[in-house]
Amino acid sequence: MERIRYGIIQAIILTVISFVTAFTFNAFSENGINPFRKMNGVPVLDGFQTEEVEGIRIVGIDEFRSLLDGGGIVLDSRTAEDYDQGHVPGAILFDYFEFGSYLDTVTPYLSFDEEFAIYCTGPYCDDSELLARELFTLGYRKITVFRGGLEGWLEAGLPLETGMHY
Amino acid sequence: MAINEYINGNGVFGGKEGLQEGSARWKDYLVLACRIFLAAVFIYAAFQKADKPLMFADEIRMYRVIGIGPLLYIMAIVLPWVEIICSLSLLTGIFMRGSAFTFIVMNAIFIAVVIYRTFDIMNGEGTPFMDVYFDCGCGFGATYAWKKILEDIVFMLSAMIIYFAPSYRFTLGRRN
Repeated sequence: MERIRYGIIQAIILTVISFVTAFTFNAFSENGINPFRKMNGVPVLDGFQTEEVEGIRIVGIDEFRSLLDGGGIVLDSRTAEDYDQGHVPGAILFDYFEFGSYLDTVTPYLSFDEEFAIYCTGPYCDDSELLARELFTLGYRKITVFRGGLEGWLEAGLPLETGMHY
Repeated sequence: MAINEYINGNGVFGGKEGLQEGSARWKDYLVLACRIFLAAVFIYAAFQKADKPLMFADEIRMYRVIGIGPLLYIMAIVLPWVEIICSLSLLTGIFMRGSAFTFIVMNAIFIAVVIYRTFDIMNGEGTPFMDVYFDCGCGFGATYAWKKILEDIVFMLSAMIIYFAPSYRFTLGRRN
């Protein structure tokens, strides 16, 4: 019994030390996050709303292309490795998993008043939507997510650009 | 119990049962091997995810046990550091029993959630058990579920050896 009691007491102490270390590291890390930010409160609109609501718009290939043709900014939320192998021409790399590292380099391209689009690998990945939610919490309100992702882009027979551009 | 007694007595360094006399026995080397093995594995795994909480949160979310919210993000921030701190504890021997206990509990939970997700994939996609393949978010990339379960069982057994056969040789708690 004593062995179990000491094991539990020590485990609790180690867990407390881990919490303190983890949150200290998180506070100073570039990729640190606020675990209490309101990610769930962000409205995601799928195009069927009858009234004007502020939120993240989910669009198909046609709307995505018209945004691109109109000179809109496009963000690629995949990793740098994926981006290097092929991305939508003109897209800016913004690896969702390294949100803090990319935020400072990408925000100069973004405007609070102009619409920009985000995509990820395909229709089943949700990194583009999660990145949109993160940016929404920072005050960006004109965000579009291209649901089809790079797979949808390729299915439409559109060309890719390779290499690192941003 | 006085804190002094706790530090020098039964608490931190394991107490009388840890203070063996004479030369090291095979049990001491076995425990040392388990400590180094577990610490190396978990430090490597933790460093893959410690600075990428959003990536780790995404991997935890795939288990469909915890949804987006503070609990998910707190887990993503803290779990890699529990692995690092407990690994350092195993290497130094300070609070070794507590870290072994933590690794037993953690691996039991890992095994349970990997089995849960494996059945989820089997039911959802009709994939046979031996063919279920996914990234468990452990820091080692995608692998077969059965391999991951076996790995976690080996980790848990190693932690059990440290916990139930405490040898305090080769630790900071030993003087000889």
